[in-house]
This record gives sequence, C-alpha cells and structure tokens, in this order.
Amino acid sequence: MGSGNEEGAMWSIFGYLISGLIIWGGIGWALDNWLDKNFFLLGGLLLGAGSSLYLTWLRFGRN
Amino acid sequence: MRKFAFAESGEGFVPPSTADFNLPPIFGTNEYTTKPIFLVLFSVILISAFFIIASRKALVVPSKLQFAGESVYAFVRNGIGEEIIGREFMRFVPFLFTLFTFILTNNVFGIIPFLQFPTMSHVSFPYVLALISFVVFHYVGIKKQGLGKYLMGIAFMPGVPKFVYILLTPIEVATFFLVRPLTLSLRLFANMFAGHLLLLVFILGGDHLLKGVIGLKLIAPFAFAFGIGMTFFEFMVQCLQAYIFTLLTALFIAGALADEH
Amino acid sequence: MEGTLNLVGYGLSAIGPAIATGMIFAAYISGVARQPEARSVLQPIAFLGFALAEALALFGLVLAFVL
Repeated sequence: MGSGNEEGAMWSIFGYLISGLIIWGGIGWALDNWLDKNFFLLGGLLLGAGSSLYLTWLRFGRN
Repeated sequence: MRKFAFAESGEGFVPPSTADFNLPPIFGTNEYTTKPIFLVLFSVILISAFFIIASRKALVVPSKLQFAGESVYAFVRNGIGEEIIGREFMRFVPFLFTLFTFILTNNVFGIIPFLQFPTMSHVSFPYVLALISFVVFHYVGIKKQGLGKYLMGIAFMPGVPKFVYILLTPIEVATFFLVRPLTLSLRLFANMFAGHLLLLVFILGGDHLLKGVIGLKLIAPFAFAFGIGMTFFEFMVQCLQAYIFTLLTALFIAGALADEH
Repeated sequence: MEGTLNLVGYGLSAIGPAIATGMIFAAYISGVARQPEARSVLQPIAFLGFALAEALALFGLVLAFVL
C-alpha cells in the first residue's frame, strides 16, 4: 500500500462525484426541459451529490 | 449565460488564444503534415533510438547511457508496476513503460528550444491514449473474471440494500465507462494546454512590453524572468502528468484484476 | 476580450474548496507523519472530508455551466 493508492483513491472519488452530478443532474435538467419546471435540476444535483458521497463512504469510508 | 466584453483599447496586443495551437501545415496544404504529427514521429524515433543504444551493450558495470535507460525502466517497473499491480505486474510493464516514455517525451517537447510545442495540447492525442488504456483495462478484467462477473462487479456494490442500486448503479457504470477515460485524457490535455498558454502569455507579453515606452521596457525583464521560472515549473508539471497518467492506468488495471474491484 | 461572468463566479467559488482540500491533506499528512499506525483510522476521514469539499467545488462547476 504505497502513496500511489491514495492518489488513485482521490481521483476515483473525483470521478464518482463528477459522474453522480452529471447523471442525476442531467436527468433533472432533462425533466426540467420536458415538464417546463425549474426545481428538478436542483433536486437532481443534490441527489447526485448525495448518492456520490454515499458511494464514496461505501468504498472508502467504512472499515 | 451572461456575456461581458471589454472594448479593445487599441494598443495592438493580441492575447494568446486557442488559435495559437492550430499550426499551419508544413508542406503545402496537406493537413496531415502539421508540427504535432512530426513531433510524434520524432518522439517515436527518439525513444526507440535511445533505448536501443542504451541497452545494446548491457554491462554489469553500466555506462552512463545504460544507467539512464535502466533507471527510467526501474522507476516504471518498481515504482508503478510492482507497487500498484502486485503479483502479475510483469505482463504490463512493457505497456506501462511505453506509455510513460511516450507521454514524457511528448510533454517535454513543450519546453525544448525550437520544438516548443507539447504534442498533448491537441486533445486528440490524449483521447487515443486514454482509449488504448480503456481497452486494455477492460480487456484484462473481462479475461480474468469473465464478462458477466466483471460487469456485475462494476455495477453492483456488495453489502447495500436493494433499492439503493437505483441510485448507485448509474453512477458506477458512468464512472467506469465514461468518466474514467474522459478524465484521464482531459487531465493530460488541460495541463499541457494551460501550461503552453501560460508560457505564451509571459513571453509574448514581455515581448510586447519591450516595444512600449521606457517605463514599460523596464518591466519587461520581470515578465521574461517569470517566463523562465514558469518554464521550470512546466517541466515539473510535464513529468508529473506523464507519471500520473501511467499511475492511473496501472491502478485501473489493478482494479480490473482484483476480484471485487 | 469576451467571456461570461459565470466563469469569474466559478473561479471565486473554487477558492474555498481549494483551501479546504489543502487543509484536509495537510492535517492528514502531519497526522500520519506523527503516528504512522493511525493511518488506517485517518484515511477514511481524510477521504470523506476531501469528497465533501470536492462536491462543493463540482457543484460550482456544474452551476457555472447550467445557470
């Protein structure tokens, strides 16, 4: 377990966060455009960030 | 998005922009003969020649050239391969070594006088490298674990209540198949692009100051000194980016080899 | 020169997470340097803190594009 592992963990956390925001934020954005509302985007972003953080906790946070 | 614009003050200074990266073709109008293409070809010749010469007469007491070649090889094999991948690392050392030396050489071209263009600041080159890395680590994982088990391992995190999979599976799949290769290539591209732009700002800005009135002429040396300092900083960034690209590729391979990633 | 003010706002909003990430890893490194056996305890905490700070930075990035 060298320092490379921490470097890799950091980048993979970054990847999780960015894909969570893109996926769920993108779904929210699409719902906004479809249904002509404006709160789905914020909800999607919060949901994406929350589930990414949960995934990070599952992968790196529990011992 | 709200736009804003500054009026050009008419001083005649053209700030460096993305247009500075689209170099004209060298021979006539054939668009395949631009500088980056020749730099890539040159780097391949350079790397091959260097390592063939360095390893041709392998002695127990190495010459200086052999020592240089061997220390680069040992750095990749021990520092990246053995440390990260572990037991089966020897299979991947040629791939990692090629990746590291290729990216390092092409990056360092950015600060070598007369070449002075980092090839990787054209985004298509990092895309291809990330595609190769993407194919390799998925192929390794599928071959080791079988297609179904590998995909299930990616998509479904063990030890989670069932309904949470609706939230997590899209994120996992997107991370493995989209975000990883994308961030891998964009990180290298963005670092090289921004670094080259930074050097252009300092050097071209200093050059423009030199043409100004006497007060501005006195400031110009500071701009050039900053440019030189930034050149050394760029050298560090270029080595670091080559290392990080290889390291992350090795980490992805190690993750694909591990039973539960 | 042309551009959007959103990018200026994103630049400003990235300052906070940048400082936070620096402080988190500074504390983590000095903790591990003092007590190497505490690494397995500190590592998850450092990574979760990093993830929280980074999530805010990425929020700023997404909102800079979307708004």
